[in-house]
Amino acid sequence: MIKLESVHIEEVRGIRKLDLDLRKEKFAISGPNGSGKSGVIDAIEFGLTGHIGRLTGRGTKGLSVSEHGPHVDKTKFPDAAFVELKIFLTEIGKSVTITRKIKSPNKPKIDPADNDVLAVLAEIADHPEITLSRREILRFILVEPTKRSDEIQTILKLDEIGETRSALNTAQNKLQTAQKIATAQVQSSQNALQLHLQISTLHPEDVLEAVNQRRKTLGLTEIAELKPDTKLDTGLSTVGKTPDFNKQSAVSDLKALSEAAKGFQALAKAESAAIVDALKKLECDPALLAALQRRSFVEKGLDLVDGPECPLCDKPWTDEQHLRDHLKAKLAKSEEARKLQQALLNNGTALAQEATRVVGLLRLVQKIAEGQGESEFTILLTGWIANMEALKVKLLTVDGLTGLKDRLINGWMEMPKALPKHLEHLTEKIDAIPAQTATLNAQTFLTTAQIRLGDYREARRKNKVAEIAWASAKAAYEVYCSVLENELNTLYDEVQEDFSKFYRAINEDDESKFTAKLTPSEGKLDLEVNFYERGLFPPGAYHSEGHQDGMGVCLYLALMKRLFGNRFTLALLDDVVMSVDAGHRYQFCKLLKTHFPNTQFIITTHDRLWAEQMKSAGLVTAKTSIAFHGWTIDTGPLVESNVEIWDEITAALAKGKVEVAAAALRHHLEYVSRFLADQLGATPQFRADGNYELGELLPSVLARMKSLYGKAADAAQSWGNNDEKESVAKRKASLSTAAGAKNVEEWAVNKAVHYNEWANFGRKDFEPVVAAFKELLGCFRCETCESWLHVTPRGSPESLRCACNAINLNLKSKAK
Amino acid sequence: MATLQKTIADKFLAKLAESKAVDVQSIAQLRSLLADGKKPKADELVKIFSVPAGGQIK
Repeated sequence: MIKLESVHIEEVRGIRKLDLDLRKEKFAISGPNGSGKSGVIDAIEFGLTGHIGRLTGRGTKGLSVSEHGPHVDKTKFPDAAFVELKIFLTEIGKSVTITRKIKSPNKPKIDPADNDVLAVLAEIADHPEITLSRREILRFILVEPTKRSDEIQTILKLDEIGETRSALNTAQNKLQTAQKIATAQVQSSQNALQLHLQISTLHPEDVLEAVNQRRKTLGLTEIAELKPDTKLDTGLSTVGKTPDFNKQSAVSDLKALSEAAKGFQALAKAESAAIVDALKKLECDPALLAALQRRSFVEKGLDLVDGPECPLCDKPWTDEQHLRDHLKAKLAKSEEARKLQQALLNNGTALAQEATRVVGLLRLVQKIAEGQGESEFTILLTGWIANMEALKVKLLTVDGLTGLKDRLINGWMEMPKALPKHLEHLTEKIDAIPAQTATLNAQTFLTTAQIRLGDYREARRKNKVAEIAWASAKAAYEVYCSVLENELNTLYDEVQEDFSKFYRAINEDDESKFTAKLTPSEGKLDLEVNFYERGLFPPGAYHSEGHQDGMGVCLYLALMKRLFGNRFTLALLDDVVMSVDAGHRYQFCKLLKTHFPNTQFIITTHDRLWAEQMKSAGLVTAKTSIAFHGWTIDTGPLVESNVEIWDEITAALAKGKVEVAAAALRHHLEYVSRFLADQLGATPQFRADGNYELGELLPSVLARMKSLYGKAADAAQSWGNNDEKESVAKRKASLSTAAGAKNVEEWAVNKAVHYNEWANFGRKDFEPVVAAFKELLGCFRCETCESWLHVTPRGSPESLRCACNAINLNLKSKAK
Repeated sequence: MATLQKTIADKFLAKLAESKAVDVQSIAQLRSLLADGKKPKADELVKIFSVPAGGQIK
């Protein structure tokens, strides 16, 4: 994927202007709270993705990149706020420059904008999880299993897989409903055929017996076998249209409807009552109703999402995924509504099936009425059939059902009151028709039988299609779930193994047998961890906050390893191990170095000790780390431990801001003294809290350096190395001169002088102080590479050197 | 490295073909629908699974 070569930030978040040379290496950014560290992470994240994680998600309502991305003094000039990243694409070996303005986050300038480059950058933009802040790591650890599952699914992009599974499930549900309706249609057409044939079962022999009896009357050959293409009226004259009115059949149809009508009031009463109960429940619980309505609405919206613009309200989102996540979060909140929705739809489908069967009967009678010129009855039946067909549509959706409460209470069939009267009248009319001749009866019997057999065959064909469709969708859904489950189990096994391995690496001193268990089940992901071999417990049960911090980072690393494999080349860790103690941080450095040698971690911390540990553990170097000693709204982060600190102090003095210059100098001295004490192995009086004052550290560092120079001189003398002896003598003399300056001694030791008097100094008074300290600190640096001097090895030093080895003073004398 | 989505989609289609529960034409349409991390919609799947009139059943 990518590594960062350099970063240029202007007017973004709390940063006015900042350049970082990241060199594709692991990089540390330290500084006190509020010094701008996270602003750097925000800016890099913005440069890469166009988003700033801290301005989106939970608890960020009202925040936006466009309004809150620029420096607070540049909110009206978002054009001035931009980030320029020089990145290296590891797989294609190209360096690329991305310039992204807050004003137009989705239109970065990319050079070169080659297709392979754009593809990698698009992939990066799709992975906001490269940024991890402390508030985010615990979401993996101290959350309820359902939320952990969501979080981990999001980071692994499993939500997209979930969407496919959900779409397959919805498809099979829709097809199942369609199949139920198709089955009802088959029953309806079967009833019509049996009614006409006057047979109680639809066995082929029964059908043929009834048909052949009429064929015999007409002198037609008997049909021996009922095949799929058998025509029951085959052989009838095709000259002139044979009337299809069959009195006997009409009487049966009318009788069937009359009988059925007696039971219309009670038809599907239980299902109807269940729907009414559910609707009443919704009326009494407006929140549930709103959730249900919203659910239905949001489901439609989610289905229609086809870009970063909301199909429901036209609101533009930063990208499609954010919009999808937002809609899915809304759906997830309404589990009770989901159950109610499912019950409503099941009962609605049952009613729709009944409606289909009733409509089948109505159509038979409608045809008779029409044939008999009963226009009023025909209109009544046509209207009722249309009414029932419209009802069937409403019964299959929640929106439709919510408007049907009154109808369901009053009798969902809405049988026209005039039906019995019309039925009676039509029955009398049919009865009054003289009996058809045997020939005509047989002819119309056969034509009607053929029509109804055709309808039945068509209904069965459609039902078969529906059955196959549902079976296919069901099989596909089940296969997908099975594959998904297997893959997830494998994935979680790998993740839990890596997670345990990483955690053991950090805690090998006391938890060398640590294990963890991730157990997925129905949308949940349980995490249990071994506590000193006493069993598996939730992470928050017994482990300390520091251990939980460690777990969060380890789980994150395990997930990223699973997500990217060898392509995990960049991660931004924003203050993520603040609760881990010093000893375990060394192990953490070791973990990052040994298990992720090819990953560029950009690590921020407010803890100076941790920043120094990263250097001494070899995770970063002086050149791949930066420290902020403070922040002002005018300047942004104040960088310490580099040559620019003197420029900053000079600039402050030029503006007459002595107090700013004094604070910068003091912070710088505090930082450098602590750092040099560590680098040189100085021995100030031990403090258990590690809270050393400048007045304790600086004298100790001076004494240690003088002692080291003494040792170097003795060693040079013993080896007869006169050049080195002379060089050491010069350095020692310079140090003594610089350290002897009155101001240095006074200000370094006396904190009260520092705070009370510096602020009252004028520029002219303060400039010599700055010069004296600049000269003094110069004695601890290499003139060539500007790195701070250090002893090596740390325990029993054998040399005093700089990073480039231009200074490499031997400390070991020749054995006598 | 194949993404998890692609791995699952490939195995899903292979297993579906093996099971013979879904016809070859539908599987080809599913493959196209799931290609390149596309997100299928339920109605698109309904269309694929619904055998067109005059299709398999006479």
